[in-house]
Amino acid sequence: MSELMLNPWIRALFWGLVMITGVMTVTAWSTWFERKFAGRMQSRMGPTLVGPLGLLQPIADACKLLQKEDLVPDSADRALFNLAPVLTVGFAMGVAAVVPFTPTMLAADLDVGVLWLLALSGLMVFPTWMGSWASNNKYSLIAAMRAVAQGISYEVPMVLAIMVPVIMTGTLSLSDMVADQQKNGWLIYRLPLTGLIAFVIFFLASLAEANRIPFDIPEAESELVAGPTTEYTGMKFGLFYMAEYIHTLLSSAICAAVFFGGWDGPIAPGLHWMLLKSVILFVFLTWVRWSFLRLRSDQLMNLCWKYAVPATLALIPVTAFYTVYAAGKGGV
Amino acid sequence: MMERLFFGAVATVLIFSALMAVGTRNLVRAVLWLGLTLATTSMFYIMLHAPFLATLQLILYTGGVLSLMLFGVMLTRRSTEQHGVEVHNESNGQRRALPIVAVAVGLIVTAVGRTDLSTATPAAVSPETREIGQRILGTHLLAFEVLSVLLLAAMVGAIVIARRKDASLEGKDDPRDRAAALPGSRLSSERET
Repeated sequence: MSELMLNPWIRALFWGLVMITGVMTVTAWSTWFERKFAGRMQSRMGPTLVGPLGLLQPIADACKLLQKEDLVPDSADRALFNLAPVLTVGFAMGVAAVVPFTPTMLAADLDVGVLWLLALSGLMVFPTWMGSWASNNKYSLIAAMRAVAQGISYEVPMVLAIMVPVIMTGTLSLSDMVADQQKNGWLIYRLPLTGLIAFVIFFLASLAEANRIPFDIPEAESELVAGPTTEYTGMKFGLFYMAEYIHTLLSSAICAAVFFGGWDGPIAPGLHWMLLKSVILFVFLTWVRWSFLRLRSDQLMNLCWKYAVPATLALIPVTAFYTVYAAGKGGV
Repeated sequence: MMERLFFGAVATVLIFSALMAVGTRNLVRAVLWLGLTLATTSMFYIMLHAPFLATLQLILYTGGVLSLMLFGVMLTRRSTEQHGVEVHNESNGQRRALPIVAVAVGLIVTAVGRTDLSTATPAAVSPETREIGQRILGTHLLAFEVLSVLLLAAMVGAIVIARRKDASLEGKDDPRDRAAALPGSRLSSERET
């Protein structure tokens, strides 16, 4: 077994399968969790009928989506229309490759994990745009333009915010980042506390990239039908929906690794801590989703360009000066 | 063996998508094919053990340049309609293009001929990202800064060109104020009352 794992192709295949299976399973039941959570917050029960505590609800949902008629609009660009949902899930899932669960349990220990992460979240806007253009529906196209504008705008504070951990730990590899935090303390409380602000901005930006409330104006299901995915039915719509959840879950995992010390923690082995932190962050995200209203389009852009971007621009020099002079990590 | 197969597959995709990007009549599809071309180029960087370059290729070209082009395409006339913009190359003069293509092919052939195509496996190059960073902020600092100034100037220029000249909208940053300032706006009457 260990000899087989030395072959990079087999190793990649193995971890790829493990990650995809794991992420898919967690994603399915995170919808159950979110519905239960939302139910409790609104004094109702959430799903109860399918299986004990409604635990089989995700399976029932998947079966329902698969049975639905697969409609493609007559004037749609068929190839692109069918490709878009698959690409969305693919890009969202690609992030899983670099999430460090434990020192050994990660699919690809990329030297440039952070950049890979940013590259994929930058690409996320294309399938959305592609799908809506291919559906040949002007309303979904308008919604997609809004989604693209939002995605590209929030990409900027996201990139700048993650530069703070990069400067503090001096590496672009996510697993090295966690190792550094294990040695020198988690970034969330490490001086000069820029990590905390960077975390808040990064977290907000990843919410915006995943189109979650309070940033889900492109979708706005109660007002705009479903934005870019208006023309999609059945499992193809399900894939877009799934990508949103995968994106949210993996963002929580990335935040846990980058800012909360990843697998670092006492007593139990690392994987437990990493998963526990990710789950706590995901719960927090759900809590935010069901507590706040969505922002208007211009408020959304104001928050990004007038607050988040200047704040991160200020954070970077502060962190750099502190790291070089106070912590004496210069080494140049 | 595996590497060869992989290289063959990626190269096929690359060449095919590049041909399609040039050949397709549909402008939006051309841009998306170009995106595939740019993305597969990054696969070559990965195979050459240059993950930093590969991810930068993805971020800058596939992510950045492509979205810019998409916005450009969206601004062209009737591109939102399915078969709205169709590109025809015939009118652009195939004969005039011939010398340019000849020069380009000549350049590429010369470049390939001059390159040492030995297949030595690269030595351990793991800290290359750090190395690139130190080169940029050390040896090549001047060039780096000149480029930054150039980009900044381009950005400022773009903003100046894009600014609306309409005097009635001067100093109104809030879109609601802008809407209200436009003649016949429902918002403006609401504000007045």
